[in-house]
Amino acid sequence: MEQNQLVEKLSLQSESFQEGFKILTKSDNFAEMAKNFRHLLRANFIITDIHLFHKKSFTTEWKDILSHDKIDPKILSFLKHDDQQTLINYNHESYNAVIVLPLTDSSYLGILLGKKLDGGEFTNFDKITLQILLQVFSSAYESFLNQKKEKKLIFDLNEKIMQLNNLIDSGIEISKYENQNNLYELALQKAASLANASSAIIKIIDKGKNNNEELFIFPNGKNPENILNSSYKIETSFDFGEKTFLFVLSEKETRKGVTNFNDLDELLLQAISRQVQTAIENDHLLKQSIEKEKMEKEFLLAAAIQQRIIPKELPKIEGFELAGINIPSKEVGGDYYDCIDLGNGIYSLIIADVTGKGISAALLVNTLNAALYSYLEFNLPLNELAEKLNKLIFNSTPPDKYITFFISILDSKSGKLDVVNAGHNPVLLLRKDGKLEKLESGGIGLGMLDLGIPYQEQNLILNTGDRLFLYTDGIPEAMNKNEEEYSDERMIDFFQKNSFANSPEFIIKMVDDVKKHVNGEPQSDDITCLILKRI
Amino acid sequence: MSDDFTLQTETIGDTLVIKTGGYINNVAGEKISKVFSENQNSSIKNAVFDLEKSKVINSIGISYLLEVIEMLSDKNGKIVFLNLDPSVEKTFKIMGLFQFSQTAGSLDSALKELTT
Repeated sequence: MEQNQLVEKLSLQSESFQEGFKILTKSDNFAEMAKNFRHLLRANFIITDIHLFHKKSFTTEWKDILSHDKIDPKILSFLKHDDQQTLINYNHESYNAVIVLPLTDSSYLGILLGKKLDGGEFTNFDKITLQILLQVFSSAYESFLNQKKEKKLIFDLNEKIMQLNNLIDSGIEISKYENQNNLYELALQKAASLANASSAIIKIIDKGKNNNEELFIFPNGKNPENILNSSYKIETSFDFGEKTFLFVLSEKETRKGVTNFNDLDELLLQAISRQVQTAIENDHLLKQSIEKEKMEKEFLLAAAIQQRIIPKELPKIEGFELAGINIPSKEVGGDYYDCIDLGNGIYSLIIADVTGKGISAALLVNTLNAALYSYLEFNLPLNELAEKLNKLIFNSTPPDKYITFFISILDSKSGKLDVVNAGHNPVLLLRKDGKLEKLESGGIGLGMLDLGIPYQEQNLILNTGDRLFLYTDGIPEAMNKNEEEYSDERMIDFFQKNSFANSPEFIIKMVDDVKKHVNGEPQSDDITCLILKRI
Repeated sequence: MSDDFTLQTETIGDTLVIKTGGYINNVAGEKISKVFSENQNSSIKNAVFDLEKSKVINSIGISYLLEVIEMLSDKNGKIVFLNLDPSVEKTFKIMGLFQFSQTAGSLDSALKELTT
């Protein structure tokens, strides 16, 4: 064929080469590309006997691209090549051409072109056409690989954006959850999908309950042992209270099967675990804060009740000097004192301490106060009054609630003093001559028992210069930072040495001495005391 | 393993309606891909995915859906997604699935969308 004719014929073919390139590059996968290339070869050479082979590298085995059949060793021998160059053998006994084409990714395409259907020779034009088609395939393959790479790059980039976005979203979603079971399910779903795990588990071990285990699994129905014992797993954990929270991801998925997780997956799992930890801690703090707020409200209410009952001003008793103080602690104890004017120079002096603190103690003081005012109107003997109060308190309180109580009736004209001490700290009576008496007789605390044991009344006379000191245990039990109590001894000593001062002054000094002892430590109980001095 | 994954199919004209349930991961993606490979030479050119019961999908599952989208695009077909969980919808948006697919509120509106 003349060279000009050859060029003319090839230029006529150029459009079909371009079309062939387009078809090849549009292939979804390598097998489809090979199939399309075989169509091109068939159309150009009128050959049906075409075999296409591929091997991943120079040293690996050939594989038939379009058939899964084992390759005839004889055929394999045709594809032997010594180096990594293109091989085209036109002088083969069974084939028009045997070709080994190196591709851009170091893999090889093997081609066996059989005899033409018309029995014609393989012409120079055919040889040039073959060269061009090999070039077309090579370029299309490179373009196909680039497209694949580009797609993967875009996918990977989008995946990273998605992971970051989902991590931010999961932080927000997890923080909103109030139900902890839903929180764990959400965390599992997020962790598994972010790290492409096939399954995930959260194991909560409660050391406070005999290492009791609670399991949350994703997807539902997976065997937990398979997840926990997987060869492909990552895990992280945190402790909160007595519980350990273990997070495990199992089997990182790829399109080719499962594999090990990478560093990024570990970071993602740790991030989700931290989000759960923060949610649990926040929930705990919120509950604490609600409880604290509730308690503070209760203490405020208790303090209001207590301050309403305790007299703002004590009555002036002719021939006597009376002063008292109540300093409630932060938690508000159940201390109470009063001096009730019963008329005709008769007064009732009371001090009491309810077990417990807060609203329940304050309410019990309120009950005592109301009952006391009622019973005092009947002018009952003190032992009977104490008996009635005991029954009332016993019937209206749980067994652990009772009141230590001291009541006295003073006839200010004669100085006669009748007292009953129902389980309260001894009231101290310091005679003018320095003799100290402890007024302890009476009976058990109000509400402790209802066995009908009568209360004993004690009858005394207060003479000029005698001093009566009533207090609650907040004074002798006031503690400093070394947990040393102020003590009964120090209190009695202080009373003996300082009660010559006028009553209000003594009360201030007494409190100052207690404060000096505790030296800034928080006050753990109410401080209450009263002093009555006959002048 | 995706133990809880379920897949139901129904053909309506040239549209394949697929309802899934459970985690869409590698195994689930393979099952979805297989359905389309089996229908590659059929007249099916559109797909409606009802993902109401699939609230979790990973990127391997997404890669299979992208392949299905490409496969149907070559046939000039379309894909419509139904009942997407907000987090799945956001994920699809980021992964670029909505460049080649749409969402609809119901099967009827999805089928209408495919015929326009």
